[in-house]
Amino acid sequence: MGKATYKVQGGKLIKVQLTERNGRIEGIRITGDFFLHPEEFIEDVEEMLLDQPLEESVLADSIRNLMEEKGATLLGALPGDLAKCILMAGGKGG
Amino acid sequence: MVEEWRLLDTGVHDAFYNMALDEAVATARSENLVPNTVRFFRWGPSAVSIGYFQSMEEEVDTAACAERGVNYVRRITGGGAVYHDRDGELTYSMMISEGHRLVSRDIQKAYQTLCSGLTHGLRLLGIPVEFKPINDIIVGGKKISGNAQTRRRGVVHQHGTVLREVDPHLMFTLLKVPSEKIRDKLIKAVEERVTSINDHLGRKVGFEELKGALKEGFEETFKVKLVLGQPIDFEKSLAAKLMAEKYASKEWNFRR
Repeated sequence: MGKATYKVQGGKLIKVQLTERNGRIEGIRITGDFFLHPEEFIEDVEEMLLDQPLEESVLADSIRNLMEEKGATLLGALPGDLAKCILMAGGKGG
Repeated sequence: MVEEWRLLDTGVHDAFYNMALDEAVATARSENLVPNTVRFFRWGPSAVSIGYFQSMEEEVDTAACAERGVNYVRRITGGGAVYHDRDGELTYSMMISEGHRLVSRDIQKAYQTLCSGLTHGLRLLGIPVEFKPINDIIVGGKKISGNAQTRRRGVVHQHGTVLREVDPHLMFTLLKVPSEKIRDKLIKAVEERVTSINDHLGRKVGFEELKGALKEGFEETFKVKLVLGQPIDFEKSLAAKLMAEKYASKEWNFRR
């Protein structure tokens, strides 16, 4: 299981706990002191990310698209920041 | 005829009841059973609250809390881990219909507008505060208030802290830190970046004086009259239910 913490410059803290298999996300938990509206959307994001490849731009796009689709708002971080932290937790980023 | 809102002053209660009543009031507002409401409250026993997206085990030293009789609870709002001292803090919340003239669809803008009532109130006390996005109120570059907002069922529910006194050593005994070295660094950081009303004014400001200033601040900035009221039966029974089934439950508090 990989873990990473990422402080967004001028923003909030993101933490990711990750299990990966064959370069894809097997399990993921995103925590932090950011704001997300609606709040339950975090669970939609985590579910969507299952089996996604550990590739930063792919993940950033998926998160961004899902947010647009559901009309969600993220404060204190951008989808790209979440993707970055996920990669760090997978031992591939930073 | 000035627009009237309800003012609730519910005094000192435990963390679970406080969070339960906040949600109950927001629900009552969403069903139009009560008017827009501003609430003042305090936490007794002292408590730690964490944001919706945080992990209780990662953020809070629950053993240290238990030793000191400090409660810990998860909020429905995002944001960080906050230590609410029984005597060191006044908490406010407001439940406003999303259609109200004060509420922007842009959440960052809404933080600014809703916090402006608070900044005005603190300035009335003689503290030259400013709003700092995303959700802080600062004076001299130091944070004196943190705020968090959620929107459900057509109601904007925002709550926040107003620091009367701060004890960084106690804070970092109750919040988890990676190591002793980091604890000292964090304590020093808080001393440099956080201040309190008593610290800034160099005198002990009583809760009544503080509530009075904030009430006036809200009324003048929002152009409303805050009329003192009580929770209705609906709110009281819903709060009792939410307290037992949600906020006091391990399932809720340790869900993430």
